[in-house]
Amino acid sequence: MLLNSVVLILQEILEAALLVSVLMAFTRVINLRVYWLAGGIGLGCIGSLILSLNMVTISEWFDYVGQEVVNASLQFAITLVLALLTLLYSLKTPATLKWLPFCMTLAVACSLTREGSEIFIYIEGVLSQPPHIRPTLTGSGIGAGIGISVGVLLYYGLLGLPQHWIIYSCLLLLAIIAGNMSAQAAVLLIQADWLSSSIVLWNSSNWLPENSIPGHLLYALIGYEATPSLLQGLAYGAGILSVLMAWSLGRICNKATP
Amino acid sequence: MSIVNMLRNKPLLMIIGVCALWANASAAGTPVIEIRIKDHLFFPETVQIPVNTKVKLMVINEDATPEEFESYELNREKVIPGNHKAVIFVGPLPPGEYPFFGEFYPKTAQGKVVVKP
Repeated sequence: MLLNSVVLILQEILEAALLVSVLMAFTRVINLRVYWLAGGIGLGCIGSLILSLNMVTISEWFDYVGQEVVNASLQFAITLVLALLTLLYSLKTPATLKWLPFCMTLAVACSLTREGSEIFIYIEGVLSQPPHIRPTLTGSGIGAGIGISVGVLLYYGLLGLPQHWIIYSCLLLLAIIAGNMSAQAAVLLIQADWLSSSIVLWNSSNWLPENSIPGHLLYALIGYEATPSLLQGLAYGAGILSVLMAWSLGRICNKATP
Repeated sequence: MSIVNMLRNKPLLMIIGVCALWANASAAGTPVIEIRIKDHLFFPETVQIPVNTKVKLMVINEDATPEEFESYELNREKVIPGNHKAVIFVGPLPPGEYPFFGEFYPKTAQGKVVVKP
């Protein structure tokens, strides 16, 4: 139970921790205050509690695929918010910049709602089995600790880069996270049969299995899948492009208005 | 207020409704295969599905604790609350073996989907 809970919680925490780290580094480099993080974590905890407490009802929505639809919506929302955030930042007017903390709060809240609800459901299930409680909670603590540490490493790693590279690295990572989220949302909608299944693009499970440490890390960081489908690949590309286009659009508008 | 008026005023609701109807229509005729979870084990452990055919897995969790159906090979992941059921669509798949497991109790909850030509 101990090792299993370490892996499980680590997987859930990593994705959110990476998003938080990139947004924190972004906040630091553009001299914003980090108050938004408290809002994001608070809303994320409330959201994940609501989602986990209502999981039975939600699971029955849309002929038993409600869970996929809700999770995919949260992931698409993250993609959209990250594109909006990039646009608002690249426009660089005081009126747009003041909305950045709001976007960051929303992105982190959506991410934590999804990941946190699975953690709550898992822990709640274990609490009904007294012999498992202690190893599970210990394992969960270790998993969360490792996940947060990876996030902290990424944060300091980003801030250690030359000044002008930090912002580009953050934007590139945000684009990758947006791509990852939209690809994961597409997979969920395929699982729910709301999108039709498509051909598999490649199979790299022999030399980099998803069920390996580098596989898990790459899954959290860039959304690595050993057997991605065409639709998943397209969604990934669309997510990345949405952030990059938002960035270019903002720059063009910025140059047009001196 | 008539349904038409209600839908006209709520475009989002209409889109969701249309999606749900379309999803229901496309799911009609899809073979359904039942898998049960009992004492953190899958019954049956091996599920045979036809080649190149989309199937609807109806996973019924008879345990009081929740379980998460997960498969790297099938790219599937879904929480199934205790004493509840869940629907997971898989396929169309080429011949092969596709292991799945219960992420919350992976030591015992192991199974595989087998697609034979």
